[in-house]
Amino acid sequence: MSSIETTMLPVLQAVLSGILVGGVYGLLSIGLSLAFGVMRIVNFAHGDLVMYGMYVGVVASTLLGIDPLLALPASFVLMAILGALQYRIVFRRFVGHTTLNQLLAAIGLGLALQMAAQLVFGVDARSAPSMFAGSYDLVGPFFFARAQIVAFLVAGVATIAVELLLRKTQWGKAVRAVADNIEAAEIVGLRSQRINLTAFALSCGLAGIAGTIMVTYYPTDPTKGFTLMPIAIIATTIGGLGSVGGAFLGGIFCGVIQQTTAMLWNSALQDVPLYFLLLVFIAYRPTGLFGQRSE
Amino acid sequence: MSLLEVSDLSVAYGDLVAVRQVSFAVDEGAVFVLLGANGAGKTTILRAISGLVPARSGRIFADGRDLQGSAPNQVARAGIAHVPEGRQIFANLSVGDNLSVSYLAERTEAPMTAALDAVFQLFPRLAERRRQLGGTLSGGEQQMLAIGRALMNFPKLLMLDEPSLGLSPVLADLVFERLATIRALGTTILLVEQNATCLELATDGIILANGEVALAGGRDSLRDSEFVRRAYLGI
Ligand SMILES: Nc1ncnc2c1ncn2[C@@H]1O[C@H](COP(=O)(O)OP(=O)(O)OP(=O)(O)O)[C@@H](O)[C@H]1O
Ligand SMILES: [Mg+2]
Repeated sequence: MSSIETTMLPVLQAVLSGILVGGVYGLLSIGLSLAFGVMRIVNFAHGDLVMYGMYVGVVASTLLGIDPLLALPASFVLMAILGALQYRIVFRRFVGHTTLNQLLAAIGLGLALQMAAQLVFGVDARSAPSMFAGSYDLVGPFFFARAQIVAFLVAGVATIAVELLLRKTQWGKAVRAVADNIEAAEIVGLRSQRINLTAFALSCGLAGIAGTIMVTYYPTDPTKGFTLMPIAIIATTIGGLGSVGGAFLGGIFCGVIQQTTAMLWNSALQDVPLYFLLLVFIAYRPTGLFGQRSE
Repeated sequence: MSLLEVSDLSVAYGDLVAVRQVSFAVDEGAVFVLLGANGAGKTTILRAISGLVPARSGRIFADGRDLQGSAPNQVARAGIAHVPEGRQIFANLSVGDNLSVSYLAERTEAPMTAALDAVFQLFPRLAERRRQLGGTLSGGEQQMLAIGRALMNFPKLLMLDEPSLGLSPVLADLVFERLATIRALGTTILLVEQNATCLELATDGIILANGEVALAGGRDSLRDSEFVRRAYLGI
């Protein structure tokens, strides 16, 4: 083996693993991006719904004794309902522009969700291995955890489904019309509040799916959602706010950065470059985050 | 009974009363014009009918139904379509999607294709540009799209806010010609204009000045009025 190969192979391995992990980051970012793109809501509680999605997997696996992957539909539905409630009670009044009050409301909601999780599930880390746990696949010189391959596939399929839903269905067109011009949407007869509610519910349902597949290879605790938020925010910002495909690619970008950092530097510091990127974005591209929508 | 009845409508923005005690009625089959200079309150009246701004006082009845407190989508669903000032088309949706998203299956028995065909027959240009994004259309094409969008639910009443604004005389003529066709097909029209040339199309209307009705009457009496002569025709 040449020396180039010996140094490059591990890096390539990290990049490929990063793509797999990043697919799931992409999925959790899509929901965030959807809520922002359609309603201008920056949902800081989004990560906490991902955390609840993770606990749905834990409950399925430890309490009910079923594979967490089989709990995916239930996780989607439960988080969508939770999201719809959040919209009705809190976010409905903030549609249209991101305000400080909206951000504070979302952060407060997130903290409440975290505390509730702590009361119910305790502070210890929990995991929910799926039937693929512990299996590895060798592809040429690279190896992959099968649970991560499955997670990536689920994330990819969900992303494509959301994109098709938005592009092709009458509901998706209505969501895009409301995002585009809410007043015009109303005067052609679209019930903007109802449409926003369903879009928000979808965004939260996606968080549930992301959480449940993530917990098959990554343990959770009540603070997990909060620690995932920087990744989701960076992914949506890089991917172009409001763009589903962009957020997915942004998630993959984050995954790759994270895994290569872990490989070349230190896995305890794998998120540091992402936090740094987040600071750079807030400092130099604040409009990318809260201002104009880039298509 | 009139299709639309507005009585003693007043609308205020904070302390500024933009519309004061305005009353008028639009009969079925009419082309009713609201004529007035900049700031007269024309847009405000249409927005109040659509439920986009709250009325301070007064009543609005459509087909005998009280529209008080209705959300804009409910007004639209009651058969009152609004082509707003500045067109307000969905810029990020294609022409085809602008139209199809505006079709509400529960509002009519006709299928969406029938509505699309009707719109494309009026404005063949839109059919050619079906896949183009709304925001990239020319001003005239956007106006056609805004009108087409409003027709997707076969409204009883079509309200238009200065549809000729910013169009070349040729294009403005085309728009008015199409309005005549739309009316002939059985849609009542409420037309807001600054320009008195639209009186040719009108059956009756009112002239607004500073938020109040300055004159009301049939087409001829409006056209021959001192008010229109002085303000619009420069005689
Ligand atoms: N959102 C608003 N806030 C405060 N004042 C407003 C608002 N909209 C309209 N006005 C005021 O109300 C008055 C009537 O405005 P309106 O837009 O109804 O006039 P218009 O007849 O449509 O004029 P134009 O022909 O220029 O469109 C104006 O004095 C305007 O400044
Ligand atoms: Mg106006």
